[in-house]
This record gives sequence, structure tokens and C-alpha cells, in this order.
Amino acid sequence: MEANAIKTARAGTLESMDCLVAVADSDAGRVIEISGASAVRFKSSMEKTINDTLDALGAGERLRISVRDNGALGVVLGARVETAYKRYAGLAE
Amino acid sequence: MEINAAKRKIPSRIEGYGETSGKLYEGAFARAPSGYRAGPRMRAAVPNGKSKVTGSIKEAVIASGLKSGMTVSFHHHLRNGDFVVNEVIRACAELGIGGLTIFPTALFDVHKAIIPCIQSGVVAKIMGSVNGAIGKLVSEGKLDTPVVLRGHGGRPRAVMSGDARIDVAFIAAPTADRAGNISGRTGKSACGSIGYAFTDAEYADVVVAVTDNLRSFPISPVSIPGVYVDLVAVTDSIGDPAGIVSGTTRVTRDPLRLLIASHASKLIEASPYFTDGISFQTGAGGIPLAVTAFMKEAMKRRGITGSFGLGGITGYFVDLMREGLVRKLMDVQSFDLEAVNSISADPNHIEISADWYANPWNRGAAVNMLDIAVLGATEVDVDFNANVNTEADGALLHGIGGHQDAAAGAKLTIIAQPLLRGRVPCVVERAHTVTTPGEVVDALVTEFGVTINPRRRDLLDAVADFAISKQTPLVPMDELAARAREMSGPMEPIRVTDRIVAVAEWRDGTVIDVVRQIER
Amino acid sequence: MLYLPGNNPNMLLRGHLFGPDGLVIDLEDAVSASEKDAARVLTREALRRGGFGRCEVTVRINGLDTGFWRDDVAAAVSCGVSGIRAPKVESPRTVLDLDEEISEAEEKYGVTRGSTKIFCLLESARGVWRAYDIATASPRVTAILPGGEDLAADLRAGRSKEGTELEWIRRMLIVAARAAGVDALDTVFPRVADDDGLRRETAFVKQLGFDGKSVIHPNQIPVIHEIYAPTEKEIETARRIVEAASAAAARGLGAVSLDGRMIDAPVIRGAEYTLARAGLSAEKV
Repeated sequence: MEANAIKTARAGTLESMDCLVAVADSDAGRVIEISGASAVRFKSSMEKTINDTLDALGAGERLRISVRDNGALGVVLGARVETAYKRYAGLAE
Repeated sequence: MEINAAKRKIPSRIEGYGETSGKLYEGAFARAPSGYRAGPRMRAAVPNGKSKVTGSIKEAVIASGLKSGMTVSFHHHLRNGDFVVNEVIRACAELGIGGLTIFPTALFDVHKAIIPCIQSGVVAKIMGSVNGAIGKLVSEGKLDTPVVLRGHGGRPRAVMSGDARIDVAFIAAPTADRAGNISGRTGKSACGSIGYAFTDAEYADVVVAVTDNLRSFPISPVSIPGVYVDLVAVTDSIGDPAGIVSGTTRVTRDPLRLLIASHASKLIEASPYFTDGISFQTGAGGIPLAVTAFMKEAMKRRGITGSFGLGGITGYFVDLMREGLVRKLMDVQSFDLEAVNSISADPNHIEISADWYANPWNRGAAVNMLDIAVLGATEVDVDFNANVNTEADGALLHGIGGHQDAAAGAKLTIIAQPLLRGRVPCVVERAHTVTTPGEVVDALVTEFGVTINPRRRDLLDAVADFAISKQTPLVPMDELAARAREMSGPMEPIRVTDRIVAVAEWRDGTVIDVVRQIER
Repeated sequence: MLYLPGNNPNMLLRGHLFGPDGLVIDLEDAVSASEKDAARVLTREALRRGGFGRCEVTVRINGLDTGFWRDDVAAAVSCGVSGIRAPKVESPRTVLDLDEEISEAEEKYGVTRGSTKIFCLLESARGVWRAYDIATASPRVTAILPGGEDLAADLRAGRSKEGTELEWIRRMLIVAARAAGVDALDTVFPRVADDDGLRRETAFVKQLGFDGKSVIHPNQIPVIHEIYAPTEKEIETARRIVEAASAAAARGLGAVSLDGRMIDAPVIRGAEYTLARAGLSAEKV
């Protein structure tokens, strides 16, 4: 086993109405961390968007998803999660 | 628990505020005063008496007789450049004076320096707007007593009626003389109008002018005459000019703001008020200022001129007057250097007090003469109630300012605001806080178009043409609210405790709403 | 037609509010090479969500000489966009390749065959020279457009404030477009704060016969609409022409004259077009 080489991929920006999504390895099942503008009022719908997007892509559970939000609508969050995950999955195994 | 006319649940007694029964909001114009005005302690000065001039703020605090538990007032004309609030509170702390109620016309970010004094008990209560760090402190329940929020008209009303008493008023004075005559027009800390300080000068038991520009007696012109002023404290600097006046106010190039402003301006142009003699208050915000720019074009195109611009005045308004598009400016607060220079030089640029500007309980405030008010809000609900006090997370972050007064006074009150700020919608089912009731809000303008309060059938008729024009859509409130819901998705409720951290009063002193502590 | 950077959520979601006639979601120059994937996903999601009001929506794909364009076409066609803007078209061959790819995508995603239009950007001397052949290479081609910066560079001219270097190009494109029976749409005006310059250039291209102009900033839209909007006088004249023509038709006359001018079929078509632009005759035409 390679030691401590954590695989991480990112997508998105911190511009207005966007968000920055990072997808990385996780040992503790699917972990979702959300911070930023919409976190207080939209946490559960953001979690749902993230999970639905990953499930539709056939992603596994061993992922850590971190979102830094700057007011992204659900459609944008979904797109950023999809890109971040595809980039993550495309990293050299 | 009772329900007021804005459909808000208000406890019959609020700890640290008092009984609310008989003091619940009943309607925008439901209450009228009776009896006589309150008044300050009488005092006299004799010829060749003791000098009013003291060497420092601390000496002035001692000379004023300020004691623990008293109420001290301030004006906010020095805005984010103000040193006076912080220095007075620091002097009080050093002198062992505590349990103070501070009664500013507004606080700014610069005043977060007093937070340690709030925590240590030097300041026990705040009556006035709080924002930034102090707002956060209040929202998290760190003050034992609720903040009392009043607008620019409600505050002088409270003072004159005796609802709020001022023991000592500390008035930042960009220019003063030894007799206590005060002006904001000149000096290194010049701020133009000092309209918010007038009522404090007239009604406080002790009035201290704090100046960094003591000139020979008498100065002229005088805004507040020395007949009201007990002491003149001389200090090196009352403020940082960079924080007092802003640079030239320019109209935004941001396309979203311009779009909203253009919709608002078309509404104004279609309204019956767009005629010779039109008057307006638009403030210094990005969208309202852009509305003024569009109105300027429309006024030129249609060949009409306005009577006056009201409220906080910017260089943009000064230009409007110079170009002959408005005849007068009624200035309670001068926002930038051009406005400061103009009020000093041009007799058509009139300094007005907060009382004159907005008090509902005098014989006619300037807002009553207003045709158009363009305002903002963090939330507007489906009943057109506007919230300007609390943010999306429920935190208290803004004062009322002139919102209630301009809305109540103007014939056409427009709230112009993007439907979405990030993901957070500005149109909601129910506003978290009601600052200004839908009863005095006539239209909401967003990037999606113009939404008219159905109460205003006359306006709906006036803009009937919009329905066929491609440029400015008419959007009914239920459609707009549905769109906001669809775009944002389901929102989680703001979690609050039962504890009340702020009480918002309507202009007439009734309780329109309360702000509760945010649950952590 | 307003260009929206394909990786910018704010503009993608709000662009239509500024009242353009069409939106061009840009996956090419407005998106850096490392973000092509992100922009494509975001664009696809924004297109699926819809809500662009009355705007015609097109997508500017990456050039056919890149590795991105097939994915771009798939994303755009799967969402049923009105058209594809193809950059740097130099020959009819390019159009045919694109046509074929679009047809496959239409079939794959169940989109009506032939419904996706092609807008050809001619950004080199070679492309402009073959404008007519390009415009007639496929029935999907609905408009040709001159390039701006790239074309000026290819001409070794550089871009001037007056647009001297594009003047003849524009005249040539009009001829090619009319001969081929497609629209001619003008390129963007890059100086977004120069409304007077935009007004001058728009008036010029309108006079040449261009059917519209692309913009890169929402604040440019009202200026262009103002110039393209028919004047009161033009509307009035058009109305009288249409009325005179229908009165003549009712009396069985082929041609009439109005104010000493012969009113024949092309004049009537022009007048009807003017009224349509003013939003007055949609139900009549």
C-alpha cells in the first residue's frame, strides 16, 4: 500500500453563485462537509444534491466531499460535484 | 403573547424592555399623540460664568456629571470614521462608570472597539442600530437587555414624547466655538449635515460638543446654537476623514443592479407622480442611485423637473440640482465630499434635522411631501412586509434607518432588490422580522420585473402597458414567490430561542416585531 | 445575442434576464483549457434546467481541430439547443463534419433530425473568402458571422477603434449571406464601456444589412435594441405600405404606388419585417 497519498480533485470557483467542491479519499464512508454562504439555510438540500449526484454517477461510499459555497443554486452544486468526482475518478489509480 | 397588526407574536412583557400591552403595532397611522412634549432639565449660564471649554473628553465626562446607569447619546455623522463613541466609553470605563445605556443614532463597524466594555458591563444596554460585530454579539444573546431599534423618525419622537430620556448627549462637532455653537460644514473632520444631532441637543439634560476644530466665537453658519450646549470638549481628532466621507459616488456598471434600476425607473415613469415637481429619496445604495441615473435621463427626455431630493445626499444628487433637475436638496446626512461642499456653499442645499426629516409626531415631516422612495430590504414577504434588520441566518445586522419613515411618507414606495442573493431568496413566505409593514410598501422590483402590491389598483392600471412590453415584465407576487422557491429549493427554518435580543419599534413607538436569539 | 461564459454560473443563470434575443453559451474562448470539462457539465445542467424565457439558446463549441468539440456537440444537442456556433470555419468540409456529428447526436438523444441549426464563425481570410460555399454546405447553416480579433490578426491588420479592417469583410459577408439565403450576424464590440462607439458600429452594420449583433456584456443590449428598433417614422411608413398593399390586393391589383413610390413585393416584405421587429404584426404576418 502507498502511504498517505490522498487522492483529491477539485471543481468550481469561489465566485458569486458558484462553489468549490473537493472530492478525496475517505476511510470513514461518505463524509460531507459544507461551509459558506448557503450552509445555514440549505444544508440538507445541499447534502441531498451531493448524494443524488454521486449515486447517479455510481460513486462509492469511501469519499470525502468538501464544499465551500458562495451562493450556488442546486443545479450548479450538482454540476460541480459531478466534475470534481469525474476528475477524481480519472486520477491515476 | 399577543398578535399585533403586522401579525407578529409579541409577549405582553419583554424582560429589559417592559410591558407591551397597549404598545403593540396597530397600523401605520393608527396612533396619534396626546398631552405635552417632555423636556430637559432647565439650566442657565450667566455672563462671565464658567468656561464651557474642557481639555479632554474625560474631563468633559467628569464635568457633565455622568453617573453609572445613565443614558448617553451620540450621532453617526462621522460614520465609520467616528472616534467619539469609543473615546467616551473608554473614558467612562477608566472613571469606573458602568451600567450605561448608549443611545446612538447608529453604530458602525469602527465601534466594535466597545465590545470589551459591553462584556465588562460598562455598557449595559443599546438603544439604536447595531451591525457587524456588535450585531453578532447581540444576536448570540451576549447582552442582558434587548436592543431597542428605532428608525430616524421614531427616535426623535421617542425623545420628544419622553419614551427615551438622554442624560448626556455627546455631539461630535467638526467645528465649534467656545460658546458651544456647532457646525458640521467645515474642519478637518467635516461631515456636512449634522441633522441627527439636533433633537439630542434640544432634549438632553447635559450637552457636550466634542470638537477637534475650536474656532473664535462666533462661527457661522451655525447648525446647533450654543444655547443648548453645556460643555465643549476639545480633542486632537474626532474622526478619520477617510471613514467620514466616501469618495465620489458613481453609478454602478453592474448589469444586474442596472437591470433592476431600469425596471424601477420605468415603473416611476409610468406612475402618476412622474410630473413636474416630483420629489424623491433614493439614498446612496447601488440600485437606488442607478434608479436616480435612469430617472435623470427620463426627466430630460420628458422635459420635467423635480422639486427636491431628500434624505442622505450624495454628489450625484448635487449634480442633479446643479443641472436644474431638482430645485432643492433636503439633507439629513451628507454622504460624500461633494455633498459636504455643496451644503456649505449652496443655500438650496438645506440641512434638516431627523425630526424635520421623519418624525411622525410633529406638524409634518419632510417625508410627508415625498413622491417616490426607492429602498432596499433583505427580505420582502408575500404580504409586502419588509425586513431590513435581520440577515438570512437570523442575525441582527442592520438598523432601521429611514426605511419606515420614507416608506410611510412616500406616495410610491419601491423596494428594489435582487430576487436572489446567492442562493438566498429575498422574497419569502414570511419575513423573519417585519421592519416596515406591507401597508406602506407599494411595489417590489427585482431582476424579474415589477411586482405591485395589489392594494395599489391605481398603480396596476398605470403599468398595464408593461404586460405587452418585452422590457419590463409585470410579475404577480405569488408567481415571484414561486419562482424564488423553485430556484432556491427548500430552506431550513432559522432556529431561534424564546429569548428576545431586540425590539423593533414602529415610528409611533409601538412594537412591530421582536428579534430572538439565534440557537447555536 | 449575448455571449455567456460557459463556466460562469452567475451569467448562465441570469443572462436571459437582460433581454437579449438569443444566448450563446461559450465553451470556447471564454473557458480555459483546464476547465473545458467543468464548463460542459455546468452548461449541460443549466440547459436541462431551462428557464431562459424567450431567448433562442445556442452553444459555441470548441473548434473542430480540438479534442473537445464532439463532447460539446453531444452536451448541447442532448439538451435540444436551437443551434451550434462553430468557431473558425474555413471550408464546407468543416460544416459537413459538424453536420454529421450533429445528426448522430440528434438520433442518439431523440431530437428531431435537422432541427439543430449551425452558425458559422468565419475567423480567417480563408473562411471569409469561402463564405458562400460554407453558408450553402448544409441546410442546417442559418447564419454566418465575421470573427473579430482572430480575423484582424489573420489579416495582419490589428483591431482599430473604427473597425476599418473589418469594413470590407462585413460587406462581403452580407453579399454571401444574402446569396446563400442565410442571416448575417455581426461580431462583438469589445470595448464594453464605450457606448458611443458601440452605437456607431451598430448603426453602421445595420445600414450594411446585418440582421443582428453579438454582445459580450449585458449593458450593450439596450444600445443595440435602440438602434435596431424601427423609428416611429419607419413604423408609420411600413404600416401605410402594408395597408396600401392589402387594399390593392383586395381590389385585385398587383402593384400600387404610395407617395409616388412603387410598392412591389420586396417593399411589402421589408415593411412587414419592420412591423414584426416593432412587435406590431406578429398576428398578421
